[in-house]
Amino acid sequence: MRDILRLSLPLTLWLATFSGLYALHGLLCSSRFAQAATPDEAGRFLLTAAALLAVALQVALLLALRSGRWGAPSGFVRRTSLTLGLIALVATIWTSLPIAAVSHCL
Amino acid sequence: MGWLPGGGRAVTKKATALRLHRALTRIWASDPGWRGWLTTVNHTDLGRMFLTVAIFHFCVAGILAMLIRAQLASPRSAFMGPDVYNQVFTMHGTLMMFLFAIPLFEGLAVYLLPKMLGTRDLAFPRLTAYGFWCYVFGGSMMIFALLAGIAPNAGWFMYPPLSSTLGSPGINSDFWLIGITFVEISAISAAVEITVTVLRYRAPGMRLSQMPIFAWYALVTAVMILTGFPPLILGSILLELERAFGMPFFQVADGGDALLWQHLFWLFGHPEVYIIFLPAAAAISTIVPVMARTTLMGYGWIVAAAISLGVLSFGLWVHHMFTTGIPHMGLAYFSAASTLVAVPTAVQIFAWIGTMWKGRPEMHLPMLWIIAFFATFVIGGLTGVMVAVVPFDWQAHDTYFIVAHLHYVLIGGFVFPMLAALYYWLPHFIGRRRFFRLGETAFWLIFTGFHGTFFLLHLAGLLGMRRRIPSYEPGQGWEVINIIASVSGFLMAIGFALVLIDIVANALVAVRGSRDPWRAGTLEWAMPTPAAAYNFASLPRVASREPLYAEPDLAVRIARGDGYLGDASRGRRETLVVDVATGRPEHLVVFPGNTALPIVMAAVTGGLFLGMLIKAYWLVPISILGVMALAIRWVWTLGAVADEGEIPVGHGLALKPAPEVERPPGWWGTLFLFVANATFFGSLLFGYAFLFTIAPNWPPPAWAQPGIPGFALLALGAVAAAAGPRLARARLAASGPLAGLALTIAGAAALLGAAALTVIGLPDPSRHAFDATVWVLAAYAALHAALAGLMAAILWARVRKGFIAPTRRGDLNILGLWADYAAGAALIALLAAWLPGVLAG
Repeated sequence: MRDILRLSLPLTLWLATFSGLYALHGLLCSSRFAQAATPDEAGRFLLTAAALLAVALQVALLLALRSGRWGAPSGFVRRTSLTLGLIALVATIWTSLPIAAVSHCL
Repeated sequence: MGWLPGGGRAVTKKATALRLHRALTRIWASDPGWRGWLTTVNHTDLGRMFLTVAIFHFCVAGILAMLIRAQLASPRSAFMGPDVYNQVFTMHGTLMMFLFAIPLFEGLAVYLLPKMLGTRDLAFPRLTAYGFWCYVFGGSMMIFALLAGIAPNAGWFMYPPLSSTLGSPGINSDFWLIGITFVEISAISAAVEITVTVLRYRAPGMRLSQMPIFAWYALVTAVMILTGFPPLILGSILLELERAFGMPFFQVADGGDALLWQHLFWLFGHPEVYIIFLPAAAAISTIVPVMARTTLMGYGWIVAAAISLGVLSFGLWVHHMFTTGIPHMGLAYFSAASTLVAVPTAVQIFAWIGTMWKGRPEMHLPMLWIIAFFATFVIGGLTGVMVAVVPFDWQAHDTYFIVAHLHYVLIGGFVFPMLAALYYWLPHFIGRRRFFRLGETAFWLIFTGFHGTFFLLHLAGLLGMRRRIPSYEPGQGWEVINIIASVSGFLMAIGFALVLIDIVANALVAVRGSRDPWRAGTLEWAMPTPAAAYNFASLPRVASREPLYAEPDLAVRIARGDGYLGDASRGRRETLVVDVATGRPEHLVVFPGNTALPIVMAAVTGGLFLGMLIKAYWLVPISILGVMALAIRWVWTLGAVADEGEIPVGHGLALKPAPEVERPPGWWGTLFLFVANATFFGSLLFGYAFLFTIAPNWPPPAWAQPGIPGFALLALGAVAAAAGPRLARARLAASGPLAGLALTIAGAAALLGAAALTVIGLPDPSRHAFDATVWVLAAYAALHAALAGLMAAILWARVRKGFIAPTRRGDLNILGLWADYAAGAALIALLAAWLPGVLAG
């Protein structure tokens, strides 16, 4: 079961951070909550910080999957989990780009 | 005379194989005659039954498609009125998506997986049968609605307020919400079944890296069903609660929001596209190497691509909602994710092209269908990237461009590969060699008919033709396109009819075929066809991804009992459970025999849904009691009252039976059921947060205020429920598990009390969406607490009957999962309900 976890964890982490960022964006843009109290620049700062945290988590996971302690003993699972870790890291960076480029509550 | 001893040995071995075959057939065969259809739990029978019923639904939905094309063939058509047309297009989409595509995958997986994995049946044979009968009864509800003229008519994605009582006051939408939820029991059952089977029920020695690629795809698809369907089940329940009891989840005036339905629907709906595509990709990845006389190029890359596609598809749902007015960053965010998904799709396409390049493709009929897939799906994929771009989507949304795009993806990406699969495995299904060659004619009719129907509809969409319109005015440039589409649509229909005739004719009168007509390497071809009920006379030891290429005489050795469990003397339906990663045999499983329990339980479950549908609410508690009684009977037959110890399974290996291991198959099934359950709960919390944050007309008139008794009951209940099974396990050898079970029951009762206090404070769930949501959260907590308490009570009875002992504690571990989940769910659900009240003081 650990091998299944190694294979499923990287993209599941992407999905969790992707959904979390979208939820944070929803909260920051909600007229009832943060938007009233948070200026636009502060909102962008929070979103950017959260996106950087997501990228950092993916890098940490990738390093863990490469390590002797957490990496898979089986060659196939090791290669595939590292590939998936890399895909998840690229996906996190790619899907976070709009945070830096687009007005978040317009 | 040198041949005599060898010849004698061969005769003896043949006789041994025949004796083994007869003994295993006696043990595994379904009941004779018509009764066999109702009581079978065998995956080969049920796979064929699933496939047949799915194809029946495809035919019905196909006839509806022809009615649509007849209506749209000319402007100002009076062939159908708008009311009938609305029912026809809604049912066409609904039948194709829910009653054809997913069940066809289930049927194929149910039939093939145990054979490909080298085992004798799926993990839970009675669950397979229960799922099948839920599918049949739920599908019958929908077909009845169609025949009675009261079918759903709000489009296959049922957006409120059109589908709520404001837009659809009749029973039509109820049929959809209740019928489809009933059918989804089948999808969840099959997904649990497939997940546990792929992970645990494989041939000894079959490592993860040696699994057939079909099994990887089936695993990813099954996990996607477990996580993709619950949001829709939740949405259907909420909308039905609104329709039946006025709980305003989607009514803006009372704190609801119609957009919540769109979120829940597309949280399911977009992964659904990949749930449909991945089985097709599984068939392609299996068939292409065989047709090209080579092995699959980039196995590891394809596994990674399938997993990537499965997960990434959950981050795309908002791209169906680009025109709903969400902020620009949200649009760009989901647009980025939508373009990303093209990458793993392309990896698979290039791996298949590379495989063909590496080998020497033979143009048999399955290969023709795969070429048609490439030509069609790539167009659908590229138009998919176009609609992922927000400004283009704003223009094309809800036009015939989208209709054309989705048919290119679904017919090109699912129906064509499934036709390839049908013809590839036809010799296996029917045990005959294809003789009549209608299939080739049908291929050209369908292929040209399909492109004739849908290619120009892209243009109709760009010219402004909106989807779902029952008629149109002349002079808009749509007439020629529509008449071509309609004529081509009928050509395609003739082609599908020919496929059906071809298959029936070959099944009835073609000559008997050989065992491995395609010279494939996977294990499903290591058996005589049609397959025996037990699949393998003995279980092979596998050390390669294509075992039949590695060991050409493997089929013969399996048949004569040289593998594991090649001895039928115990007279039971036995197979092996292996370690997930290495395929090392871990324990022995004894399957249940033929029984009518699944069909009876599905019928009683149907009573529950029927009661809600026709508003005969007295039927609902009766059905729930019936299901509970049958469920108790179901679990009562599992387990053992005495230890068997280690049992020889062949090759000098002896293993314990499942009741004597810590984590029996039921534990694994429960674990994956909770994956679906937790997704349902997560979707409910998302819906709550969405309404709380976005919906107009908040705050509600009052918050939930449970007071100190509520908090005390929740805290004590959660601790007791979680501690109970642990205490039962710890004291099992010393004083027995009854004190632990009593603690679990007490904890469950306290949790029920906390849930009851929550709703007592908000007596009218129709007042505001907050009240309605709190009721659902409390009901969820109460249901799980009740189930944990009931299970502890059943285990109490099982302890007294001797099912549980220090060496047989698997049941307690399963109870532990339930109790932990019930405690956790109650804590989260009730605290979420109470928190706003606490913060508001």
